[in-house]
Order: sequence, then C-alpha cells, then structure tokens
Amino acid sequence: MAGNRMQKIGSVFSRTRNLLRVGVIEKPLWFDVYAAFPPLREPVYRVPRPRYGKVKDVVPPIFYQEDEVRARFYRIYGNGPRPFDLLQSNYKSTCQRFVEKFNELKEEGKIEEEKLFEETGKALLASGIILQRRGTDKVAQQDHQGAETRDSVLHQQLQTVLEEIQEKKKDREEQTLESAETQKENPVPS
Amino acid sequence: DDKLLSEPLSHPDFFNVKELFSLKDLFDARVHLGHKKGCRHRFMEPYIFGCRLDQDIIDLDQTMQHLQLALNFTAHIAYRKGIILFISRRRQFCHLVESTARECGEYAHTRYWQGGLLTNAHIQFGSGVRLPDLIIFLSSLNNVFEPHVAIRDAAKMNIPTVGVVDTNCNPCLITYPVPGNDDSPTAMELYCKLFRMAIIRAKDKRRQSEVFDELR
Repeated sequence: MAGNRMQKIGSVFSRTRNLLRVGVIEKPLWFDVYAAFPPLREPVYRVPRPRYGKVKDVVPPIFYQEDEVRARFYRIYGNGPRPFDLLQSNYKSTCQRFVEKFNELKEEGKIEEEKLFEETGKALLASGIILQRRGTDKVAQQDHQGAETRDSVLHQQLQTVLEEIQEKKKDREEQTLESAETQKENPVPS
Repeated sequence: DDKLLSEPLSHPDFFNVKELFSLKDLFDARVHLGHKKGCRHRFMEPYIFGCRLDQDIIDLDQTMQHLQLALNFTAHIAYRKGIILFISRRRQFCHLVESTARECGEYAHTRYWQGGLLTNAHIQFGSGVRLPDLIIFLSSLNNVFEPHVAIRDAAKMNIPTVGVVDTNCNPCLITYPVPGNDDSPTAMELYCKLFRMAIIRAKDKRRQSEVFDELR
C-alpha cells in the first residue's frame, strides 16, 4: 500500500503516474480520464505570497460611456425617486431611463451639449417622472407643509416647462415668418 | 469490459454536458458576481473579467470552459462507478447539497471535518475502506474563510478534486477549478442541478451499455 502524500510537489497526476511507472500501485479509476481530458492548468501547489513594493492592479476596472451621465444624475438628483426592484430581471431604473433619453436626445443632435442634461430632465418630467434635486427638499419643506410640497413643486416645474415650450413655439413662428419674408424678398433683386 | 471503458474516452463530449448549461443561464444565476476588491485572492486574478465599482466580476467565458471540463470529468468518473463525495461547509446550502447527493446516489459531507477522515481512514473507519474517487467542493472555504482541509487532504491521498472557487479562494490544489459565485442561492442551485444531471446521465448510460453488452 504505497502512496505519495507530498501535495506541495507536482500534481496529483504526476505523482500517480510516477508511482505507476515504478509499479508499486495499481491504476486508479480516474487516471485514464485525466489523461484524456486534462485541466487547463496543471494543479501544482503555489505559495500564496503577497506582492511587495508598488502593487500593480492587474484587474481592469469596468466603466461605460453612460457612467458619466449616471454620475452626474446621482450627484444632482440623489438616489432617484423610485427604489430598485431587483426581483424583475428586465427592470429599468429611473437612472437607466434618464441615460437612454439622454442618448436619444444626443443622437437627434438638435440640442446643445450643455443644455442636454436639463432637457432630459424636462423630457422625463413630461413623461411623468418627478426628479427632485438633492438639497432643495429641506428648503421647500420649510416654506410649504405636508402633501402640498410635492404637488406645488410639480406645479412649479410644469409651469416653467410650459412657459419654455410656449416661448419656443413663438420663436419658431417668428423664424418661419422671417424665412417666408426673406424668400419673398430674394427673388426680387435677381 | 475494456471496450466499455475506453470507448467514451475517444469522444470529446461523450455525455453531451455542453447542452446542460449556457452563458445566459450562468448570468441569470448570478455566477459572475465575485467579492469586493479587498477580498481578492492573488491566484484568482486570471479568472476575473474586471472590477465594477470595487466588486469583482468573474469572466464567464472561462467559467464555461472550466465548467464543461469539470462536468465531463464527473460524468466519466460516475460512468466508471467511482465514489463521489460532495463537500460544502456553508450552513445555508448544507441541506441542498445533502439532498443532491442523495438523489444522485452519491455521498456528501457538510459537517465539521475531523482531521483524519481521508489521511487516517483505515484507523477511523476500519481496514478495507474505499476512499472517494472524486471530491466535489461546492464551496472551497470553511466557516472561518480558510481553505477547506479536505482540499489539502485530497491532494495528499492523490484524489482528484472539482471545486467552485470564488474570488477569495485558492484554486492551486484543486484539479478542476470552476471560477464562479458560491454565495448566491441561485448559483448554488444551478451547480447542484448541473452535477446531479451529469452524474445521473452517466449512470444511465453505463446501465444501458452493460445491458447492450449482455444482449450480444
């Protein structure tokens, strides 16, 4: 009944193979299977020494392009109005919706870079998601009371959005009028 | 008898273990989630895909390869009527592991590991004990987050091991390591299901081949 108990020298397979070659052991069940399907790395013992000196992190960090938008969202709006529901595997959080809207508006290209962030906030507001800025809640609560807070804040935000939309409409109408006038004027000199 | 044993070794995937799982199954079972950056073991770094906000994410492509090799090896051992021992020292999953072993017709050890169970077997159990031919670790750490003694003992007794290694484990001495999450219940259920199906398939195939041989 021979055996080799030196687990720090070689692998299980190399020790068994050598014992078989000498002839002190009979072939174990797993030997042929291991020989036919060896593992990707031979299981040799390695001393787990810690790294000394300047430690280089071999594992790369994972970051995406959308992380910039997400960082800004969380800095301004805090955790978001709705908690994450992780029980659904296809769940989309408020932040994820914000990022998708941001990318849509960016691809359309009609809005300037600096204003993209505010415009996405307004677009989400139009679809019914209320975003409260971090730090403004306490100030609002001092002025108003209880359930009126959210409604009044929403009311104010909706009013500002409506005003801006009306202004834009007027601007567009003026632009179309001007372009119509210039078109009428241009053929005259030619 | 010789042909019965040598024929399965010529096929690359005799028991068709590749169809038991897919990358999406591994992802849905949260196998790719590792521990935090501070808990990382040095030898697990080649198996880690990246670090997302300080949490290690395991590379599922590598896990697929390793899992396929491990399941294939388990199936071949079960085909050759080898004894398989399941070990897991996590209280949360001890019942699951024991019931998996019972359904396969194999053995499990999910309690305190006494020192000489493998190395001193002939004195603890009596002479003429047959030691396990394969040990499957569903969690390679014990209750105090140190490597399980059975890993070292199996290497001493020249017993091959298959083990699920998380980002804080040492995969050196495990013959067929499978980098993956060992903390989520969904991941553990997936591993138990895969090993159970592989072993049952192999045993059924063995019974079939013996019946065919007898008929001839």
